[in-house]
Amino acid sequence: MRSCEPLLFKNRRAEGPVFLEGYRKNGGYQGLEKALRGMSPADVREEVKASGLRGRGGAGFPTGVKWSFFPSDDAGEKYLVCNGDEMEPGTFKDRQLLLADPHHLLEGIIISCYALGIGTAYIFLRDAYRECAGNLERAIDEAAQAGLLGDDILGSGFSCEIHVHRSAGRYICGEETALLNSLEGLRPNPRSKPPFPAIKGLFGRPTALNNIETLANIPHIVTGGAAWYKSLALTEQGAGTKLYGLAGHLETPCCVEAPIGMPLGELIRDFGGGVWKNRSFKACLPGGASTPYLTAEHLDVALDYEPLEQVGTRLGTGGVVVFDDRTCMVAATLNLLRFFARESCGWCTPCRDGLPLVCWLLERLERGEGTREDLTMLQEQLSHINGRSFCALALGAMGPVDGLLRHFAEEVEDHIRMGRCPLQD
Amino acid sequence: MPTLTIDNQTITVPEGTNVLEAARQLGIEVPHFCHHEALGSVGACRLCAVEFLEGPVKGIQMSCMVLAKDDMVIDTGSDGVLAYRAQVIEWLMTNHPHDCPVCDEGGECQLQDMTVAGGHGVRRYTGPKRTYQNQDLGPFIAHEMNRCIQCYRCVRTYQEYCGGKDFGVMGTRQRLYFGRFSDGPLESPFSGNLVDVCPTGVLTDKTYRYKSRIWDLQEAPSICPHCSLGCAVIPGARYQELQRRRARTNRRTNGHFICDRGRFGYGYVNHPDRPRAPLLGHRRVTWQEALAALQNHLHEFCELYGSGSISMLSSSRASLETQFLTKRWANALGSGQLCFEAHPRRDQAARVAASQAPDCSASMEDIRSCDMAVLVGADPLAEAPMLALALRQAARRGARIVVVDPRPVELPIDCERHAAAPEELPRILQGLTRPQQNAFASASEEFGGALGRALLEAKNPVLIGGSDLLGPQGCQMLLKAAEACSPTGSTCRSMLLLAGPNSFGGAMLSDDGPGFDALLEGMEQGRIKSLVCIEADPVADYPDRKRCRAALARLDLLVVFDCAATATVQEADLFFPTTALEEAAGTLVNNEGRMQAFEKVFSAGTPLLQSAAGDHPPRFFSRDIPGSHPQPAWTTLARLLGRDAELEKVRRELEKIDPRFDGLAGLTADSEGCRVVAPRQAPALVAAPASGVTASDQLHLLVTEHLYGSELLSDLSPCLQAVKSDPYVWLHPQDVARLKLVEGKPVRLCTSLGEWTLELRINGDISPGVAVVPRLRGTVVETLVPGSEPMLCRIEKA
Amino acid sequence: MATLLSEKQIAQLKRRVKETPHPREMVLDVLHAIQDANGWVSDEGVELAAIVLGLSSLQVEEIATFYDKIYRRPVGRKVIHVCDSICCWSRGSEAIMLRLQQLLAIAPGETTADGMFTLLPTCCLGACGEAPALRIGRTLYGGVEPEQLEAILDKERAEVES
Repeated sequence: MRSCEPLLFKNRRAEGPVFLEGYRKNGGYQGLEKALRGMSPADVREEVKASGLRGRGGAGFPTGVKWSFFPSDDAGEKYLVCNGDEMEPGTFKDRQLLLADPHHLLEGIIISCYALGIGTAYIFLRDAYRECAGNLERAIDEAAQAGLLGDDILGSGFSCEIHVHRSAGRYICGEETALLNSLEGLRPNPRSKPPFPAIKGLFGRPTALNNIETLANIPHIVTGGAAWYKSLALTEQGAGTKLYGLAGHLETPCCVEAPIGMPLGELIRDFGGGVWKNRSFKACLPGGASTPYLTAEHLDVALDYEPLEQVGTRLGTGGVVVFDDRTCMVAATLNLLRFFARESCGWCTPCRDGLPLVCWLLERLERGEGTREDLTMLQEQLSHINGRSFCALALGAMGPVDGLLRHFAEEVEDHIRMGRCPLQD
Repeated sequence: MPTLTIDNQTITVPEGTNVLEAARQLGIEVPHFCHHEALGSVGACRLCAVEFLEGPVKGIQMSCMVLAKDDMVIDTGSDGVLAYRAQVIEWLMTNHPHDCPVCDEGGECQLQDMTVAGGHGVRRYTGPKRTYQNQDLGPFIAHEMNRCIQCYRCVRTYQEYCGGKDFGVMGTRQRLYFGRFSDGPLESPFSGNLVDVCPTGVLTDKTYRYKSRIWDLQEAPSICPHCSLGCAVIPGARYQELQRRRARTNRRTNGHFICDRGRFGYGYVNHPDRPRAPLLGHRRVTWQEALAALQNHLHEFCELYGSGSISMLSSSRASLETQFLTKRWANALGSGQLCFEAHPRRDQAARVAASQAPDCSASMEDIRSCDMAVLVGADPLAEAPMLALALRQAARRGARIVVVDPRPVELPIDCERHAAAPEELPRILQGLTRPQQNAFASASEEFGGALGRALLEAKNPVLIGGSDLLGPQGCQMLLKAAEACSPTGSTCRSMLLLAGPNSFGGAMLSDDGPGFDALLEGMEQGRIKSLVCIEADPVADYPDRKRCRAALARLDLLVVFDCAATATVQEADLFFPTTALEEAAGTLVNNEGRMQAFEKVFSAGTPLLQSAAGDHPPRFFSRDIPGSHPQPAWTTLARLLGRDAELEKVRRELEKIDPRFDGLAGLTADSEGCRVVAPRQAPALVAAPASGVTASDQLHLLVTEHLYGSELLSDLSPCLQAVKSDPYVWLHPQDVARLKLVEGKPVRLCTSLGEWTLELRINGDISPGVAVVPRLRGTVVETLVPGSEPMLCRIEKA
Repeated sequence: MATLLSEKQIAQLKRRVKETPHPREMVLDVLHAIQDANGWVSDEGVELAAIVLGLSSLQVEEIATFYDKIYRRPVGRKVIHVCDSICCWSRGSEAIMLRLQQLLAIAPGETTADGMFTLLPTCCLGACGEAPALRIGRTLYGGVEPEQLEAILDKERAEVES
């Protein structure tokens, strides 16, 4: 069994969260000290860029590149917004991190603010994570008391404050521009880009937006250096470790930290305990609800950005959801699409009206009422929704439909041919 | 300036133009719902897809969201695009009801058009449809949410463009609701624009409901007559009834929208009390009889008393052609006793406005794009509602808006307010005329000077004045101030709000002619024996009604031409019915000096609804349409002058006699109009008597225009009665406390013109020492007219 | 209206609104405060929030109706959120939902006659590793078997009653 020395989960204990004392004992805030005492903001940005860290929120955009668009050296109000609206089904890593070790995120945020010349950070937290909010608030108080947050941090002259914002539901708030609207007290419809948040974000000011897990990696890159961080991955092009969620039909669903590039089958076997009830593996979502399915033939694929793109899917959030051989993939897809249709913000037509139509078609197929025309219509939906919606929600929603039609065409056909779901007795 | 190719045609467009607009410039209309020229692109409906074949962007993209770039090659109708657009329509139609045959939008429904165009004839989706409860949105707008396709145009219009806060979008996903927090009338005075922007039948004109199919309507380009701005409108009529008005686009004036007073003020045309037949005394007579009586009488007066015994009064409601022929007729009779405005101060103010160099006056377009606007004594929502909307657009782009006024001027934007006492206004204007000066005689002048300096520093500043509050002297100072505040290489433009839709035209034609008080004096002295009122209502409009009535009573002959049952019509010895604006063609000159032609929409006649009393049309045969006697005033004048009643000829003649009107003959109603070429000479003004509060219990009385109830014609519109206020007086809390009055309780307003009992309202934005009373026709205070010389009053417990 | 929040709370919120350069950003905080105190946000609650924030009721309603965790209809003493997203679905959330409907004798979206529980489906609770999961009030229950539900409900009920 291959595993790695945990970075983000190094303070994860069964007994409960670790706060300042425990965090510092285990090397916490050393990255911050190193950055503030020995590195210029540009040095930190350079290190992050060189580390190859990619966004862990789902889109996988290289963090250093994203930061390079940010006007770090410009004067005036700028913001960092930490996206903690973890709401994509199959994704529960950020919650695990906050439940275990809230200072980890704070250190990442403070270093990032230093690197980007930002004085104010917001942590946008989904409503369901009240416990996490409590942990964060306590950690913020502790950090402020210890001079790690607030004015003149560690005597460096750098000042930074962090606010926790409690949201009230809705998956769309995880879309970065919708999140900004939500934070401003506007309706959380996504904004059009350009202008990108880095230029015109929160309250019209330059805003850096990063996921919780992404930011939590920053201290390790600063302490260990880019080369070391990059070398943690099992793949050539990969970098660092990843918090993988393992859920669905597994013996031991869990959230684990493992190197980027871990083969899918190995992760499922070693950490998920294999498919439950001694059944066999039929398919999985490799990185949350919006990623197209992988099947048994993909068990060797490395869980890294490029290799997954090569097989027509994405690493997404790293939330692996496994389906056993008794799962009806039409039903699974319908469940996923109901989620996306329900969470559409209602701004654009393909998402607002297209996804419910997809649900209706899948319902017909699953009930055995589907016809060949319905299947044609479903295929049309795939080509007409993809790339035509205002934001990526509908594109993500069609990921599972894409996977269904690519990998399980026969199963769909069976529904039509038999006039019932072939997997129901 | 990128150059791109769309459907094999090449075009160069300004930087920042999106592909949808670029295509439109080529005459290619890319189907869309959410995009609107005035509202911009938001990428919500996703219908305007086109295929990018070459250039920086590839594949099928929304044309409204992609900016035109060099080397783009675009196909707006590729197979992929057409299939995709058909899919969008299918999505939108999954929940749209099949109620087109009974839908009020039928025939002008964009969704219907797109559905047919996209070939969506069979509904493949057979599932249930989402339904909603509708709301009562008040007297103007009907609500049918089931038809909604969620293009967000309504909320963008209402909130972003118009600044309304009580209509918006609620919910998410497929369960969006566009409406109010709870049932109730829409609060924005621009709510009617929802009708024009809604692409389906969700928000429709309630006053027009169940009346006509739009293809049965008679429509033509026209001008709104309810203030001096001259907004472009399209009235629609059927069965001799004017059934609605909608906005027309004129980028120089109103843009795409109009105000609710303009949209719903049309009812005067159909008013059941409208006099439709010539009257001799109270006796109905034929046109021939009436004209013969008129000519005989006037001939007699000329013989007996000389032509100076005949006087004429037209008004700002009369078209330029009518005003012009009135003047020709007066000339022909040899009478110099002619004026175009019954309100002497308004008359003088209009003459001042018309003395402004045309290239220095501000259009509404100039105001929308200004970066600083200073309003002195102007209350846009009351005096020229669309100006408020223009100012809002400027403010949205970051313009600084400063309101200097004794009244609590409300605007749909946050702006700087300076509650100046009426006597301060001239001093502030004085300061504005000397922005470069260092030392000022008073704080007011210094404030004006500071504003002036800010205007000098602005790029496109405008100075806006209300003629009622400023009076002619103030108007003249404002024009001087605009000149003084013009930045180098640029102009501080100015706009003066005038009394009516053709105040400017009348002022141009007035020359040095007498004002109406000179005419009244002549009547009082017995020199003037007859008065011909051509679309003028001196009884209601002259500030001292008692004096006017008494003078008119001394006349031997009062002749009135009008289309409404005005107070003056009641006194007429001889009456000629004229057409309403929509029933004839003509020209109006708006407050910036823009000549705008309007077409005839329909022929005058008693609405079928009235002549048939809701029953079957009358079953008798006659040559005439009932109630079709009204004639355009100018055609009657032409007959009296013994010439052809041809509009073209009249316009050409005016243009020839007076080159300032150059361009008039070539005007078409669907154009943007053109400004008069040169100003009139500035009128000689007599200094106004200084006024001041003498006793501690005295207040300045300001009678002001009100959005609803002040303007003659719109006040005759039945649907506007619902939004008309009861009479009230506004006082500052300090004065209320000083005078020991109680809010909401009736108070007694005592002036030299009379005494009235009114409701007391308190407003902290008002200047202390001022009592503001809105002009409200048909109420106890109807004799109080705005724009008068400053007046003092007392207010006591009733 | 004033009973929705104490005078002190209202004054505190108003002060915060006054202090922030962007008062609108407080809209969820104010709605949360009203909901925390009353269980849900009534029409009067929206009107109160509007007054506190200096917005129109409609402007607050536009926000309140967007979020599913702001309750604009009355709810029971405790809201049961049953996750129906993919991981919980794969491990039996449908059975959980059915059993709860039986036990409570209500359909999703309804409140029990005694006003104790409101039953709502919810999207992913971020407890995929403990699927099937549900949340009652502030307590998360993971790895729930239908047979455990009766005891869970009893416990929750007892908590309210004590």
